[in-house]
Amino acid sequence: MAQTPPAIGGRVSRRDFLKLMAAAGTVMTFAPFVDWGKFLPNPASNEGQRVKAELADGTVVNVNTFPVNHSEVIIYPKSEDATLNQEAFRTWQLIRLPPELGGDKNDASAFRAFSMVCLHLWCLWKYWPEEGRKRGECPCHGSMYDPTNGQAFAGPAALQGPPSNVLPYLGLEADSNGDILILPPTWDPNANGIVGYGRYLNV
Amino acid sequence: MGATLTYENSFVRFTRWVYAGVERTIFMGMKFTFPGRFVSPLGFLGMLTFVIFIILGITGALLMLWYEPILDRAWHSVENINDTIPYGFHIRNIHYHASNAMVMMALLHMYYQYFSGRYKIRNEILWVTGIILGVLTILEAFTGYDIIFSERAELAISIAASLTNSIPVLGPQMREAFFGAGFHDFVLRFYAFHVFLLPIAMLGLMVVHFPRFLVFDVPMVMAISGAIMLTGGVFPVGLGLPFEPEVPPGLTVPEWYLTGLYAFLRTMYDKFTTGVAWPGLFIFALLIVPFIDRYKKFSWKDRPIITALGITSLAQIIVTTYWGFYIDPDRNKALLERLVIDPIFFYLVMVLLVPLSFGFTYMMIKLAKHAEANAKLQPKKPPKGSINISQKWLYVLFVALLAFQIYLNISAYYAVLQGMKNYSLFIIGIMMLVFAAMFHVYRYGRARAKAPPPRPVPPTPAKPAAVPAPARPAPATTVGEVQKPMASPPPTASTRVSSEQVAQLAQQQQQQQQQQQSKQHTTSGGTAAAAADSSTKTEQTSDQSRFTSAASNEGPDKKTL
Repeated sequence: MAQTPPAIGGRVSRRDFLKLMAAAGTVMTFAPFVDWGKFLPNPASNEGQRVKAELADGTVVNVNTFPVNHSEVIIYPKSEDATLNQEAFRTWQLIRLPPELGGDKNDASAFRAFSMVCLHLWCLWKYWPEEGRKRGECPCHGSMYDPTNGQAFAGPAALQGPPSNVLPYLGLEADSNGDILILPPTWDPNANGIVGYGRYLNV
Repeated sequence: MGATLTYENSFVRFTRWVYAGVERTIFMGMKFTFPGRFVSPLGFLGMLTFVIFIILGITGALLMLWYEPILDRAWHSVENINDTIPYGFHIRNIHYHASNAMVMMALLHMYYQYFSGRYKIRNEILWVTGIILGVLTILEAFTGYDIIFSERAELAISIAASLTNSIPVLGPQMREAFFGAGFHDFVLRFYAFHVFLLPIAMLGLMVVHFPRFLVFDVPMVMAISGAIMLTGGVFPVGLGLPFEPEVPPGLTVPEWYLTGLYAFLRTMYDKFTTGVAWPGLFIFALLIVPFIDRYKKFSWKDRPIITALGITSLAQIIVTTYWGFYIDPDRNKALLERLVIDPIFFYLVMVLLVPLSFGFTYMMIKLAKHAEANAKLQPKKPPKGSINISQKWLYVLFVALLAFQIYLNISAYYAVLQGMKNYSLFIIGIMMLVFAAMFHVYRYGRARAKAPPPRPVPPTPAKPAAVPAPARPAPATTVGEVQKPMASPPPTASTRVSSEQVAQLAQQQQQQQQQQQSKQHTTSGGTAAAAADSSTKTEQTSDQSRFTSAASNEGPDKKTL
């Protein structure tokens, strides 16, 4: 091929044209398989619509009945399979903030939902409502989380660089009955965050 | 003996037929050697690594029958294997210790090839595939201990996932794609990686990595297997505690081949740099070594910079591995204070190791060259005498080893009955080692039987009985021994050798041994076939040397006998 003179005036040699067609055909043949990469990630974590926040016993969380300065475990996304519901990555801490942080408002703004998987080494933290604590604490190495935005302010998780110092969250809203609904999340560090990894706070 | 060799039963004929059929297969491209005498295992560490890989394949396949890669069952199924299933403890321990042995063996293999410059002579592809194989071996071992799903496994998984997440741009998507979305997916997928994807990739690479000359040394293979079981008996591996997300885990460190990496992570510096970029850089450096090594020579002494780089990497690996293990034992300090490694101190030590290692290497090369020059000046030392065992004592040794094996069999069985599983594993390990010894004795005896009988020496009537002590006693006695190989006439023949002849023979033997040693040196331990060939050649060179060929053949044997 090196001996053939370069094409002049934009003319492509017959052989090069054939090669181009063959290459294009190969690309076209295998193009549909690129989308097959979707086989790999778990689709269960991508709920397409809003779902009601349910407690372990099946009752729906309601802004009128849920106590102030209190927390419960919710499973999201919930599965039919009891084993999958044990999954730490599906456990979220639903917190109704204390009154001084706006927890006495009767709408979704009084609520927060953060992933319970501690960003340090994946133990399960929980919210402590006692006077003087009112924060999320991890039993393993003592990481502490701000209940308003999920940011670690003490312990090993606080020392990790962003995005691994802010907990992933679930978007919430209340319907006309006062039932709490979970908005479809986007698992990305710049959106809802990634469970066990974190999110960027500034977004 | 000759009669039994010529007789062919149907089984022998079938084996020959199969062997002839193999000629049409890919295996004909390889040259398999079963060394007829002891050769240094340094040359066939790769083959030993492969043998351990096969052991891992067999034990792993057996473990697959009972292991359940499910979130809430994984740990309990391992517990079931360990405590309930008969011989589950044995299989699991062999699998665990063999995995460590394989990583260790692969590392030794790599460093031996590195320092001996074996990656040069158009072996670059072998080296590059070897490095990739080594990385896959460590990943394989890593995924293996993750799927027990104990506390330590969970910590390891979390580190692996966070490192993947930390990769710029595509990290989170990659974690989602390869590891899945939660613990359930992690365990199941690590299992898939561990039992299928990684081993199949390794097998494929091995096809490329295998050189054409392979050495399969049965005693050494058995000794390695025995050592693995013995270690399993002495240090039986525990189960660890099951992972429970509400319970604070104990302080754990990863397996020894990852503590080096763990030390970097413990500096708490950016995860991507410490956990992905540094190890990636190290692997990349290893990959390109054959292309930056422009020395014309092979020996480590003639490639100072490359040798120094190797010593530096070894020193840094040892230091970081130890540092990764070390956790401040002072329990009064805060956990973080105990765990976090000061990055400035850490990197300073790493940098300091570079000039130290270079200095050390130059010193070693100087000393080695000096010793070499000295050795040339000084008169040659007499070669060390080799152990020679007569036919009768060979049989006695065989019977003794067999009796020992029977005794070990009985005690291993009793140990199982009494629930002393690790003791039983320990005994079986010794049994393998005894087999290694037995095979070595067998090979030794066979080599002697094959050695041609000594030429009849005309009796010298002048001084028939009193043979004066020769100048060098050690080689002389060996010559006397050589006179009575297995199928030889009565041992009195040795006394008929005149002192003159003895001295002459001793000298010849000495020369030959040196000749052979130098040949072995040039042909290297890896091509034992060539070394064996050279010895057979020297056998044919002169009639006189026939006496000594057997003895010199067995020269290096004494180490194991």
